[in-house]
Amino acid sequence: MSLPPDEHPPGLVLDARLHLLDRQVLDVDGVPVCTVDDLEVHGVDGSDLPDGSQTAVVTSLLSGAVLATRVFGGRPPSSRLHRIRWTHVADVGTTVALGVHGDSLDVTWTERWIRDRVIGRLPGGRHDPG
Amino acid sequence: MILGDVLDAPVRGPADEPLGYVVDVRLVLDGPLDGTLAAPRLHGLLVSPRTGTSFLGYERTGVRSPALLARWLRWRHRGTFLVNWSDVEAVAPGAVRLREGYRRYSPDLPGRPSQRPDLHRAT
Amino acid sequence: MKKLLGVALGILTAIGGFLDIGDLVTNAVVGSRFGLSLAWVVVVGVIGICLFASMSGRVAAVSGRATFEIIRERLGPRAAGANLTASFLINLLTLTAEVGGIALALQLASSVEPRLWIPVAAFALWLVVWRTKFSTMENVTGLVGLTLVVFAVAVFLLGPDWSELADQAFSPTVPAGEGHAVYWYYAIALFGAAMTPYEVFFFSSGAVEEKWTVKDLAQSRLNVLVGFPFGGVLSVAIAACAAIVFLPAGIEVSSLSQIVLPVALAGGKLALAVVIVGIVAATFGAALETSLSSGYTLAQFMGWSWGKFRRPAQAARFHLTMIVCILVAVGVLMTSVDPIKITEFSVVFSAIALPLTYLPILIVANDPEYMGKHVNGRVTNALALVYLVIIVTASVAAIPLMIATGAGS
Repeated sequence: MSLPPDEHPPGLVLDARLHLLDRQVLDVDGVPVCTVDDLEVHGVDGSDLPDGSQTAVVTSLLSGAVLATRVFGGRPPSSRLHRIRWTHVADVGTTVALGVHGDSLDVTWTERWIRDRVIGRLPGGRHDPG
Repeated sequence: MILGDVLDAPVRGPADEPLGYVVDVRLVLDGPLDGTLAAPRLHGLLVSPRTGTSFLGYERTGVRSPALLARWLRWRHRGTFLVNWSDVEAVAPGAVRLREGYRRYSPDLPGRPSQRPDLHRAT
Repeated sequence: MKKLLGVALGILTAIGGFLDIGDLVTNAVVGSRFGLSLAWVVVVGVIGICLFASMSGRVAAVSGRATFEIIRERLGPRAAGANLTASFLINLLTLTAEVGGIALALQLASSVEPRLWIPVAAFALWLVVWRTKFSTMENVTGLVGLTLVVFAVAVFLLGPDWSELADQAFSPTVPAGEGHAVYWYYAIALFGAAMTPYEVFFFSSGAVEEKWTVKDLAQSRLNVLVGFPFGGVLSVAIAACAAIVFLPAGIEVSSLSQIVLPVALAGGKLALAVVIVGIVAATFGAALETSLSSGYTLAQFMGWSWGKFRRPAQAARFHLTMIVCILVAVGVLMTSVDPIKITEFSVVFSAIALPLTYLPILIVANDPEYMGKHVNGRVTNALALVYLVIIVTASVAAIPLMIATGAGS
């Protein structure tokens, strides 16, 4: 039972789980930002729950709380999602490269919080090791 | 929606018959231009009749080694097929239904990984 | 000449860095109870760690991705999360055991109570993690750890019955008075001690820390393939020391002072001083590796910024993770639990968690998307599959054997 091959789409083909989900996201300087925990999809007319009757595209990478729901089930409310707009994605390979600085993004707030409140205040925390 | 709504969801045919589970979502970078890249367009769903978990890609890529492992994982996912997004009638979180006259395609990724220089920056 | 020095340094640090509290304790306990009849397990374990450490190093050098990033990417959040939970807890247990080991060794040297040494050791540990350059840290602990060679010297000085030792090693039988289940339980413990997953997390992350590229592959392979087997020889020497001194007397090793006693008997005070220095260096080095591994695993799973090559403020969550882990280890040790007992459990739990770590490494090492032309060859894959079977068997058998034998008692 061999199935007919799919017509050959011209663009780069990515299987979401195989090539995008759970990959490391790096910022424009190569600094790790987060992992791709999920992807947000919209219909081209902006609808939030598209079906096959219209073209649907990935609009954002998601990270943060959505990871817990992928492990334990359930779904965070849309207002709690931390998004990186697809506009910021510069390249997709074994990692996802962004064209912006990680510090300017919403998803890195915990990193900044811990840096400003804890690690940056300890002596030597802002110096190169060695 | 988020992809987590669809991944692992049970898939039913037009007559409500169970067909399997969504193991992956195939995207093609040919949507409208969004920043430096085209937006990934939902091209289709990969449906496995047997198990909800994607298994490491062996069922879809040209990777054949280590042979025993590859063969076992492919065997676990025998019968996996691709349906086009246009054949999806309805999506609710945790459920996918296909429309009348949907067609099954081979799940193989076009082009073996070795023929994809775009993903070869490492070498 | 400089290149040759670099090669020698790499190999020597690999030898010195191979041994940790798990290897010290497990080998001495096994030697005192089973002689060298389990030495074959060390050989199996060393070949396994060589295989998978060099594989993970190659993946890291070629693709720039460390092991836990790969585990997350291939296994997805659930299976990788389960692996993270297990690996992180085992790692914490091992870190606790290593810090306890430093304190016990310092107690031997100073007769000051270990509970006074624990905070000192932990603070020193944090200072190194916080401030020292990665390569300096690796080289110093590795080179000082080389002094554990006294175990091998002690075997000769003790003047054992060589044919007896050879007999134990080459035609292994379960000694009278020990059950088969206990024998296999300790086989798994030794296997877990040799193949502890944190070594692979540390090794692959270290490759990223030191910015290895394809050019460094030959050197890294040499370090592993020469350094680790010599480390294995030292493991067997520790077992041999215990076998020579304790096996005939029927004494079971249960403390650090017993582990070093054969060396003191053979070489006197000087040898004792040297072996204590070696143990402090080895446990301190391993405590550094496990602290860092706790940060590496969590940060890589979550996609956080990590690495000692960055300023701490630029890897804030990574550094906070390590601080918390070190504090937890100190807290646990302050309750006066026996670090030797913790060690015995940590090596068995390591064996249980092995498959979820080694399977993704094997799969990604075959993936041309990551590896290009540096994918595994046929021989490596054949050997790796054999090891996968051994690893899964040991993992499945560990808990039933632990229950059946009352953890080897």
